[in-house]
Amino acid sequence: MNIVACIKETPSTTAEKSFGPDMRLERRKEDAIPNPFDEYTIEEALRQQEKHAGSTVTILCMGPATATDTLRKALAMGGDRAVLVSDSALAGSDAIGTARVLAAALQKIGFDLALFGSAAADAYGGVVPSATAEFLGLPLLSYASKLDLSGDSTARIQRAAEIGYNEAEAPLPALVSVVKSINEPRYPSMKGIMASKKKPLDTFSLADLGLDPSSVGGAAARERAISSEKVSTQRKGEMYQGNEGAADRVVAFLIEQKVL
Amino acid sequence: MDFTLSAEQQMIRDMCREFAEAEIKPRAEEMDRGAAFPYDLIHKMADLGLLGLPFPEEFGGAGADFLSYCIALEEIGRGDASVGITMEAHTSLGATPFFLYGTEEQKHEYLVPLARGEQLWAFGLTEPGAGSDSGGTQTHAELRGGAWHINGAKNFITNAGTEMTGGVTITAVTGMQADGHKEITNLIVPKGTPGYIIGNAYHKMGWRASDTRPLSFEDCRVPEGNVLGRRGDGFRQFMHILDLGRVAIGALSVGLAQAAFDEARTYAGERQQFGKPIATFQAIQFKLADMAMEIELARLMYYKAAWLHMQGQPFTKEASMAKLFASETAKRAADQAVQIHGGYGFMDEYPVSRFWRNVKVHEIGEGTSEVQRAIIAKHL
Ligand SMILES: Cc1cc2nc3c(=O)[nH]c(=O)nc-3n(C[C@H](O)[C@H](O)[C@H](O)COP(=O)(O)OP(=O)(O)OC[C@H]3O[C@@H](n4cnc5c(N)ncnc54)[C@H](O)[C@@H]3O)c2cc1C
Repeated sequence: MNIVACIKETPSTTAEKSFGPDMRLERRKEDAIPNPFDEYTIEEALRQQEKHAGSTVTILCMGPATATDTLRKALAMGGDRAVLVSDSALAGSDAIGTARVLAAALQKIGFDLALFGSAAADAYGGVVPSATAEFLGLPLLSYASKLDLSGDSTARIQRAAEIGYNEAEAPLPALVSVVKSINEPRYPSMKGIMASKKKPLDTFSLADLGLDPSSVGGAAARERAISSEKVSTQRKGEMYQGNEGAADRVVAFLIEQKVL
Repeated sequence: MDFTLSAEQQMIRDMCREFAEAEIKPRAEEMDRGAAFPYDLIHKMADLGLLGLPFPEEFGGAGADFLSYCIALEEIGRGDASVGITMEAHTSLGATPFFLYGTEEQKHEYLVPLARGEQLWAFGLTEPGAGSDSGGTQTHAELRGGAWHINGAKNFITNAGTEMTGGVTITAVTGMQADGHKEITNLIVPKGTPGYIIGNAYHKMGWRASDTRPLSFEDCRVPEGNVLGRRGDGFRQFMHILDLGRVAIGALSVGLAQAAFDEARTYAGERQQFGKPIATFQAIQFKLADMAMEIELARLMYYKAAWLHMQGQPFTKEASMAKLFASETAKRAADQAVQIHGGYGFMDEYPVSRFWRNVKVHEIGEGTSEVQRAIIAKHL
C-alpha cells in the first residue's frame, strides 16, 4: 500500500509573526517547522505502515525550496522518502491553488491512502483536504479520530460527534484528514534523525507536474488577505477582592456560568 | 570558522529539549524528593536511542558525533541533572571504554546492549584512599589459575546498583612495572559475580535520582579474558576516558546553568516589588546579563573541546577548561537564581533550590575544580 502524508511547513508557534506589504506572512527559514497538526498526520501514516506490512510512506509538502529541512525533520520521525513541490511561481498560492498542486503531485506519486492534518497552524483554513479530493474526484473522510483499513480496499473512520461518534467509510484510494485525538505522535529517535539525511528527497517543479503556472500562485489566488490585526490579549478578568463577600460573589459567578 | 550546527545536531538538540520539557522536567521535583531511580524514563530514553548516541550503528548506537552527544546531554540536564548524570556516566564512563578499548568480542558482548540501552554500566575508579589521586588505587587483582582474584573497595560509583546495571569496569593494580610504578589494568566485572558486593545507595544532597554506591571485592574472581584492552593500560585508558567525560560534564553543567537562568528570568518578570517587576531593577538585570554571558561562554568552550576531539587533536587542557568553567558557571547561576527568588528560592517548591543542591557535585565529580586547575596549569 502506498501511503502519502501531506504536510505543510509553518512558522513555529512561538515565533514572532509579521506581515509583508502584500499581507503575506513573513516566513523566516529559522522559524520553520512541520505544521504541528501534521505530526498526527505523519504518526498515522507510520502506524498504518506498521499495521500493513510492505507499505511505503511518502511525505509530501508544497513549500519554498528551503522546506527540505522541514521534510528532513518529518523523515526523522520515519517514512521512506519525501517529495517537495517547489517553484517560484507558487508564491502566494491560496488554498485552491495549493490543492491543485497537491492533487497533481499525489497523482504523479500514486497512492492508496493520502493523509492530511485537520488544518495548518498558520492559516487555519482547513479546506485543502476537501479541495484536493475534489480535484482528484476521490472521497475524503474528514476529521478522523480513528482510522482502520480493512484489507487493501476500504478505509473506515470515526469522527467525533456531539454525542459519541459517526462512522464513515470509503473505498481506496481515498483521502483522510485526521484530528489530534487520533494518536500520540512519537519523538523522532536518534537513529531516525541520523537516517533522515540518507532518505531520498525529490523536488518537483510545476513543469514536472504538468501544471500551468498561471493556474496557481498569487495571480490565480481568489482568496485575498485584506487586513490584519493583532489579537487583543487583554483578558476581561473580574477581580473580587477582600474578605467582604468575595467568596459569595465567586460562587454566584460560577453558578451563573453553570459550572456549579 | 563556522558556528552553525549541522542539521542532525539541531534536530537532536530540538528533540532532546522537547523531551526534557515534556517528560523530565515535570517529574524532577518528585524524583529528587523520593530519591528514586526513574526506570520508566530511562527505558524511554533507551528506546529513543539516547543511551548510545556516539556509538556506530553496528554496535547498537545511533551513529551521532561526539558533539551531538554533548548537546543532547545539555538539553537532558536542563530538564534534570540527575537524569543527565545517569546518561553521562553510562555513556562516557560505562560504554565508551568498551568502544575505545574493547576487543571485537567484548564490543559485541558488552557494548551492544549498552548502546541499545538494554543495560547500564558503571566505571569504578575512585576508592576510599584514592580520589583525586586516582593512580593511588589499592584494589588489586592477581592472576591465578586462569582467573583474576580481585580484592579491594571502590566508592561513589554511579549506576553501579540499578536493576538495569550489567556490571562495572574497575581499575585494579595487577603488578609492578619495571620503572617501579604500579601496573594498573581495567577489569570487567559483571553484576552477580561471587565476591562482588554492591553496597547500599548513598543518601545524597543532589543528583538524588541517580544511583551511587560503594562497592567491595572479596576474592571476586573473573576470567583472565575480562581485561579491557591490554594488561597494564589501565592508567592511560582512564586518563583519556576522563578527558572525554569532562567535556560531557561541561555540557551537563551548561544545561543546569541554563535551567537556573530560565527560572530566574521568568521569576524576575513576574515578581513585583515596589510596584513593578523586579526585572526592571538594574541590579537584577545585571545578574541575568552575567548569567547569560557566562552560559554562552561555557557552551562555546565545551563545543570547542568536543570539536578538537572530533578533529583528532589534543584536547586535555580544553576539556578541563570546559568542565571547570561550566561547573563554576552553573554554580554561580544556581546561586544567583536563588538570590533572585529571595526567600522563595530557599523553599523546596521552587526548582532553583534543587539546582543549588545539585550543582555542588559538578565541581567534584570526574575531577574536582582544584584538579582541573592543576591539569590546565600543567599544560601551560
Ligand atoms: C555523586 C558522585 C558520583 C560519583 N561517581 C563516580 C563514578 O561513577 N566513578 C568513579 O570512579 N568516581 C565517582 N565519583 C568520585 C569522584 O570522582 C571523586 O569524589 C572526586 O574525584 C574527588 O575525590 P575525593 O572525593 O576522594 O576527594 P579528595 O581527593 O579527597 O579531595 C578532597 C579535597 O582536596 C583537594 N585536593 C586533593 N588533591 C589535591 C591536589 N593535589 N591539589 C589541590 N587540591 C587537592 C580536592 O580538590 C578536594 O577539594 C563520584 C562522586 C560523587 C560525589
